[in-house]
Amino acid sequence: MAECRSMTVARSTSRETRTHFKVITYMLESGTKLQMDSVPMATACLIYHRFFKECLLENHDPYLIASSSIYLAAKVCEQQIRLRDILNVCYRTLHTDRPPLEINDEYWELRESLANCELLMLRVLKFQIAFELPHKYLLHYLVSLKDWLSPSVWADTPIAKTAWALLRDSYHSDLCLRVKPQHLAVTVLYFSLQCNGVGVPFNDDADKQWWQVFCEDIVESKIQSIIVELINMYAMEMNV
Amino acid sequence: MDPQIMDGLDFPFCDEVVKYEKLAKIGQGTFGEVFKAKHRKNKQIVALKKVLMENEKEGFPITALREIRILQLLKHENVVNLNEICRTKANQFNRYKGSIYLVFEFCEHDLAGLLSNHNVKFSLGEIKEVMRQLLNALYYIHCNKVLHRDMKAANILITKNGVLKLADFGLARAFSISKASGSNRYTNRVVTLWYRPPELLLGERNYGPLIDLWGAGCILAEMWTRSPIMQGNTEQHQLTLITHLCGSISTEVWPDVDKLELYSKLELPKGQKRKVKERLKAYVRDQYALDLIDKLLSLDPAQRLDSDAALNHDFFWMDPMPSSLAKMLSTHNMSMFEYLAPPRRRYQQGGAQPPAQQQQQRAVASNDAAFDRVF
Repeated sequence: MAECRSMTVARSTSRETRTHFKVITYMLESGTKLQMDSVPMATACLIYHRFFKECLLENHDPYLIASSSIYLAAKVCEQQIRLRDILNVCYRTLHTDRPPLEINDEYWELRESLANCELLMLRVLKFQIAFELPHKYLLHYLVSLKDWLSPSVWADTPIAKTAWALLRDSYHSDLCLRVKPQHLAVTVLYFSLQCNGVGVPFNDDADKQWWQVFCEDIVESKIQSIIVELINMYAMEMNV
Repeated sequence: MDPQIMDGLDFPFCDEVVKYEKLAKIGQGTFGEVFKAKHRKNKQIVALKKVLMENEKEGFPITALREIRILQLLKHENVVNLNEICRTKANQFNRYKGSIYLVFEFCEHDLAGLLSNHNVKFSLGEIKEVMRQLLNALYYIHCNKVLHRDMKAANILITKNGVLKLADFGLARAFSISKASGSNRYTNRVVTLWYRPPELLLGERNYGPLIDLWGAGCILAEMWTRSPIMQGNTEQHQLTLITHLCGSISTEVWPDVDKLELYSKLELPKGQKRKVKERLKAYVRDQYALDLIDKLLSLDPAQRLDSDAALNHDFFWMDPMPSSLAKMLSTHNMSMFEYLAPPRRRYQQGGAQPPAQQQQQRAVASNDAAFDRVF
């Protein structure tokens, strides 16, 4: 009996996880169309995941929450986007088969629900809107590492590009809630070096592993376990 | 969603403001009213600042959001502490739109209130202590890449123990050093007119921390004059007053001023000599104070002292050294806020308030429309 229930829980969790994966894809697509920078975009995803850590998926329309997250994140990150633009872009992204939104009752209702939803989210977040993201750490790590690698390796392999892409994709799951920003930054960099087949020079002879130089409290097994989560997340793409 | 559905819902994330009992209105902030209030259970005294949300077409006001975010990031003894955020229930009386309150630690006085009460006398050491704490606050917020953008005596709170707290971050914002690729384009419609530096009046949009230091200079002088030193009615008038005190604005004293948009469009009195020290020495007897005011009221922001340099000025390191206000304040057992004070003797009336979009009306405005300079 107990086993039976835990299985149901497992299945429903994965359905939820898949839904969130799909909604984040929608967010990233809308955000790209709105020309959002990477930090507001990541903040939007973080807000979205924070919200669903507190609230049940079955009680809220995830697409409305996602759109409001974009709106709120843009404000918080000083890259304010007009409500009208968010509404039009999100509507188009969500309903590719319908004509663009006209200014009619539906427009005003959607607009008001977005504004109301923003306030709801602020409350759920307990107005905690000062976020720390992995981006600033990754930037510093990359700058330091660039000077340590040979210029030709740096020029020929897309280490930075891969790391940024991995970081961006990681928001499809709620890793950002469970992993310290520094740890996520180290992990995507580690994974990127691995994917590109690049080793850090003299790492084997050094007293400290390169990641310990950047972040003292991380161990390799932790990096590995985060990478496993990332790989599982990519595997999910086939099933959504 | 039908708002009435909300009635029965429990909201665990944000407490209701009714847990505080409002005692008195003590001010009018940049975006709403401020009340003194008491926690009904633990009796803690706080200040409640209401966020005005009526007629908001773009959701939760960005200014309030900035204030909340900035105060969450800034934790310093000389910056006001934000305790929590509360809400009111939505009901039929507020058209199902609840309000949001910012809950602050309570401070007994504000500097404008203290200065308007002539029974409050500051010794030189106490003036130094006020200024030292103010510059400490500015040093801290500027290090953390935040501009206050509304320096004025009413926004400087002082507890009964003499601890200064910089308050009202309703116009504050984060800033970045502009890159070669492009300059910042911040609004120049900020800072109460009387404390607004010349570069903003001339249309500068790529500004930085030094705009707050001009205000600090005005406030330092005000510690002796007891009312704002330059009370202009319009931007043009304010520039004229600045010129009368700080000398004519020209490329000789301020090399890049001709690049500012309004430099050629506004009327700038020519041939005025700088007389900051001469004009103020009747009030300010301390030569170090005069020198510091002079260096803070530099027309060219590039030549103005930053908060670090100001803290290193001899003013703070010569006898009498900065000394606590606690003893002097303990002789006054009434809260002193500008909002509650009778109009300061030579105050300009509310019409002189700046045209900036969210400027507060002075609640106790005198009706004396005639312009009067302080010295």
